[in-house]
Amino acid sequence: MSPDPGPHVGRFHPFTPLVLTLCVAVLAVAAPGPKTAAALYTTTVVAVFLGGVGRAALRALIPLAPLWFFLFLLHGVLGDGDQVVILGLSLSREGLAAAVTQACRLGAIATASLTLYASFSPARFVDAVADRGWSFSTAYLVVATLLALPRFRARALAIIDAQRSRGLRLRGSPLNRVRAIGPVTFPLLLGALAEVDERGYALETRCASGVVHRTPLDPPLDRVGDRAIRWLAGAGAVAVLLWRVFG
Amino acid sequence: MSALLFKGAGFTYPGAPSPALRDCVLHADAGSITWLTGALGAGTSTALLLAAGLAPRHTGGERTGTVLTLGVDPALPSSGAALGGRVALVLPSPATQLSGIAETVFQEVAFAPANLGWPRARITARVSDALTALAISHLANREPGTLSGGEMQRAVIASMLVLEPDLWLLDEPTSALDTAGRALVHALLRREAVRGAAVVVASEDTDGLHQVADRLVVFADGCPVLDGPPQEVLRGERVWEAGAASTAIAGLARAAGNAAPRPLTVDEGVARWAR
Amino acid sequence: MGTMKPLLMEGVHFAFGNASVLEGVSLEMDAGAGVALLGANGAGKTTLTRLAMALLHPDQGRVITAGEPTAGRSPEDLASAVGYLFQHPEAQLFARTVRAEVGFGPERLGWATDRIGEAVDGVLLELGLSTLADHHPYDLPQPTRRLVAFAAALVARPQLLVLDEPTAGLDRAARARVADVVLARRASGTAVLAVTHDLGFAAAVLDRAIVLAGRCIAQQLPLTELLGDHPDFPAPPLLELARRLGLEGVRPAAAVLAPLLTSHPKTGTLEA
Repeated sequence: MSPDPGPHVGRFHPFTPLVLTLCVAVLAVAAPGPKTAAALYTTTVVAVFLGGVGRAALRALIPLAPLWFFLFLLHGVLGDGDQVVILGLSLSREGLAAAVTQACRLGAIATASLTLYASFSPARFVDAVADRGWSFSTAYLVVATLLALPRFRARALAIIDAQRSRGLRLRGSPLNRVRAIGPVTFPLLLGALAEVDERGYALETRCASGVVHRTPLDPPLDRVGDRAIRWLAGAGAVAVLLWRVFG
Repeated sequence: MSALLFKGAGFTYPGAPSPALRDCVLHADAGSITWLTGALGAGTSTALLLAAGLAPRHTGGERTGTVLTLGVDPALPSSGAALGGRVALVLPSPATQLSGIAETVFQEVAFAPANLGWPRARITARVSDALTALAISHLANREPGTLSGGEMQRAVIASMLVLEPDLWLLDEPTSALDTAGRALVHALLRREAVRGAAVVVASEDTDGLHQVADRLVVFADGCPVLDGPPQEVLRGERVWEAGAASTAIAGLARAAGNAAPRPLTVDEGVARWAR
Repeated sequence: MGTMKPLLMEGVHFAFGNASVLEGVSLEMDAGAGVALLGANGAGKTTLTRLAMALLHPDQGRVITAGEPTAGRSPEDLASAVGYLFQHPEAQLFARTVRAEVGFGPERLGWATDRIGEAVDGVLLELGLSTLADHHPYDLPQPTRRLVAFAAALVARPQLLVLDEPTAGLDRAARARVADVVLARRASGTAVLAVTHDLGFAAAVLDRAIVLAGRCIAQQLPLTELLGDHPDFPAPPLLELARRLGLEGVRPAAAVLAPLLTSHPKTGTLEA
């Protein structure tokens, strides 16, 4: 999330990365085997790097690595059927294929989602919605929720600092860690509730409820290229979905 | 017609054992600054929330009596159309009122006018003026989340100023500001009153407001108990009996055993006590 | 005690990534000292206080809090010696009663139950919160919640109090309580370092001013010398009055000045 979404991604209309991410998700679910799934994942990673937000692809590896390891164990090591020996390990051929398929599906979805999150610009998104004359309330809800996450994180860090300064130890015995839960999570939950309340006050006092026609402050350009990408990606995803369901 | 009118107004928060406001009679006129003060829990904040319609709409609870804001009952759902953009409410914690979706202070201040569908050129001009008036033009491109308390307070006031409201309702609007900041906001409120707006401000900044406000209303136990010209009210003893306080110099005079009428300013204090 | 100072900083440099915040900052505080930490937004005041609490560690130089260097130590190691009051302190409240909330710190420090009870009762009395001991903190108004957080910072009787905007969001009565407690603690040897924009409060309860500007300490001088000397730091009314009545050196608080003014309804004479 940034006001400066990146050198290339920032030039897209806000709806384009959104549509692309949805399409990647659909294609990932529809991908029938390891080769197509791997192709999808590779294409996604390459596109992300070309878009100038390669860091998101790398950051996606953090949650993916343990998931991939688990898949490899579950399907590859413990799988049945034809066995193949790799580096001294006896692995199931079918299991490996399944593991690779799942891993690449998850990889594509995770990479696309994190890229979307990293490159999302709330103001441009709200302006894009306003420019179309679509519902401001829905856009506000989506954006305010997304932006609540970094605020939530900052609040959590502040609470942890405060409790540590009062003597709370986060490291050490399991009992210590359990004891730490209350002093950290309760204020966080109460803070989250307060956050919801605050958005309510903001809506009421800032003329944001019952918005009929919001003025876009800096409407993003919706180029021919943007529309072409969205239509092609959307059509492709729908076609693949139909082929998988009926083919 | 008064910009704000309370007739026998009372309010009890949900689950509260006793009313926060009881049988309250209050009015505020256009072109003047009405200053509310009182001890914690005396009802000044509740009065402002009632005037804005947030009580009971947002807070829940029960209201009695009559409240008319710019001639309209603000608790009615239909009041939004009549009052939208004409009433500015500034709450004590500035973070409470941030839009939550603005990436820059400029966008934050432009939030309400954009919601009202103003033309872009008008928004840009008015936002620039408002930022200048609060001396925060240099913060136009900053992320609202990185502002200090004082800067955030100025940004919220700017985001109300941009609307040129007919009625200002401010609750401790200068609590996070230094002396220069408080003087700036008080001068701004004076200019707003001159423009014809009605300004109602709840504040404990007695030293800052006693020469700025036109009228002082002291609340105690949910009801106004004193109402008059600020200087007159502050020199007396009753303001203290009501649980509120006067200026620092008047407080010193009281501590030194001086009877009312007491000095309010440093100059008056020097005149009283110098050899 | 010897030469153990509550706070000592020597040649401290600190940067967030590439952005330098503090360069070559050195300061020391003795027992019972009262220092107002002043400066524009972004000048590094909160960073300095966080360094004192081992929430941050210096890139160069040393921070020695309560006689021990902060290097390699964590905030929880300093909790018995330092009471830190954060901005928006009510965000940390979590317990079901005020008593439990304030007792949380000593409980984490391993104090015996009756010792905790005594300390909590004592600090609640100091702050006028005794009648609220069994209330749920979240049922209380904001200024009172902040007082509860202040009580939590005081309860272990730390040698050093580090306060970030201690009077923010407080009503007049609560501000008066905080002022009284700060003075009382200083008199009993607690050093107090406060970031505050409330110059009336600072003038009444603190003695020294440290002004941060340009990433270092621009000025370090008695507070009463700074106030009124610079347009950024105007003298609060009681200080200005005291000066004009020839009462330099008298603490500019009503309780101290009042006995020096003999009241005569019409003329009034001054006995110093």
